[in-house]
Amino acid sequence: MKNFLKEHGLWILFAGAVIAVAMAALSFFSVTSSPLVNMTKTLTSPFRSAYTAVATWFNDKQNYYRNTTALEEENAALRQRIAQMEEDIRQAELDSDENQRLRELLELREQRRDFQLEAALITEHAVSNWTSSLSLNKGTAHGVENGDCVIDETGALVGIVREVGVNWCTVLTIVDTDTSLGAQVFRTKDLALAVGDFSLMEENRLRLEYLSAGSQLLGGDVVQTSGLGGFYPSGLVIGTVDVVQIDDSGSASYAVLIPSVEFDDLTEVFIIKDFDIVT
Amino acid sequence: MLVRNEVIFKWFLYALAAVLCLFVQTALLQRIHVWGVIPFLYPLLAAIPATWESPSSGTIFSLSMGVVCDLLLPGPIPCFYTLVFPLAGLFSSLLAQGLLQAGFLCSLVSAAGAFCLTDGFHCFLLWLNGRPAWETGAFLALREFCVTAPFIIPVTLLFRAVFCRTHAEN
Repeated sequence: MKNFLKEHGLWILFAGAVIAVAMAALSFFSVTSSPLVNMTKTLTSPFRSAYTAVATWFNDKQNYYRNTTALEEENAALRQRIAQMEEDIRQAELDSDENQRLRELLELREQRRDFQLEAALITEHAVSNWTSSLSLNKGTAHGVENGDCVIDETGALVGIVREVGVNWCTVLTIVDTDTSLGAQVFRTKDLALAVGDFSLMEENRLRLEYLSAGSQLLGGDVVQTSGLGGFYPSGLVIGTVDVVQIDDSGSASYAVLIPSVEFDDLTEVFIIKDFDIVT
Repeated sequence: MLVRNEVIFKWFLYALAAVLCLFVQTALLQRIHVWGVIPFLYPLLAAIPATWESPSSGTIFSLSMGVVCDLLLPGPIPCFYTLVFPLAGLFSSLLAQGLLQAGFLCSLVSAAGAFCLTDGFHCFLLWLNGRPAWETGAFLALREFCVTAPFIIPVTLLFRAVFCRTHAEN
């Protein structure tokens, strides 16, 4: 063994160092993911899907045999909610007609949002305790690109595609420390920055920073993407204000946001591959 | 002394044992949350095999584990684990050669060292990015180590079995 290492140890170490440097360089210059990472994750992607399928099957069986009383109560509550929402829809249709008439009167351009969506299944939730990420089963073969927004079925923002391979992509959720989004408070129209905070990540919370001095935020205020800069679509719900606090310096305030998405319950999401917003 | 074929066979078995641990991590442990954290076997794979080997070969094995982890896991920088794990391997190997005989206690101490290095580097990078979180990071590292600690026993047994199998004639 000693002879082997004497003869080859330095070369093995050198090869390891070259691989590490090559990986770093390839990752730095790649717009999707480095070729080695791409190859590894492409090969392991079917296995991740298989584990998830088995785990989902077990969860389904477990949920099936859970207390049915709770399900019946939830069903009744949902029926009431549907009735309320149908009422809201009727009102919204009237409002929409009125809005259309007023727009025509004022000769305003129509406001619309066109999203090109790609449905994707979550094959893996967080793989380490230091990041909040999701692995999806769609990649460059389906037109997914780095920086694409990911939403849930209600249109709430889940995260941003960070790395993409042939048949997989990694999404950093909005609570991850590397996430930073232009945000706008729906009620007050204040602009701010929604950023992940490591101290809040575990509680599935994030910070709303750079609030204007006169901003008057209330608990429950809805915060959505501002769309400024054109990187991300506007109007995607990030979350609601939990509490407003003063930062350590004492000179500025920030808000703690509760995301609208329950990350642990997610099984399917939608990737916004392309968007076109006309205002 | 092992001949070349035996050396290759030994490292093949080490790699196989590591793959088994990776399978358990991805298929099972990643779905279990205890005290808000998932058991994280990767630092154990960098530390424990190195306790049975010389510093140079232990470090090289840990370096390989670091490369594998960088391929599989998202990290704050592209070669995060490739930088940290060789240090963890070197520390473990030196510990086993100088202070504690390779075994469960040595594995426990070397795993603690590996977690300190890995999580400490995480905290350092957060601090470097202007988002210091030393207290939260330390608490997370402590929980991560406590949750992973029970797995030191099977991982040590596994790699000890490989070591004994390949050094039986010596």
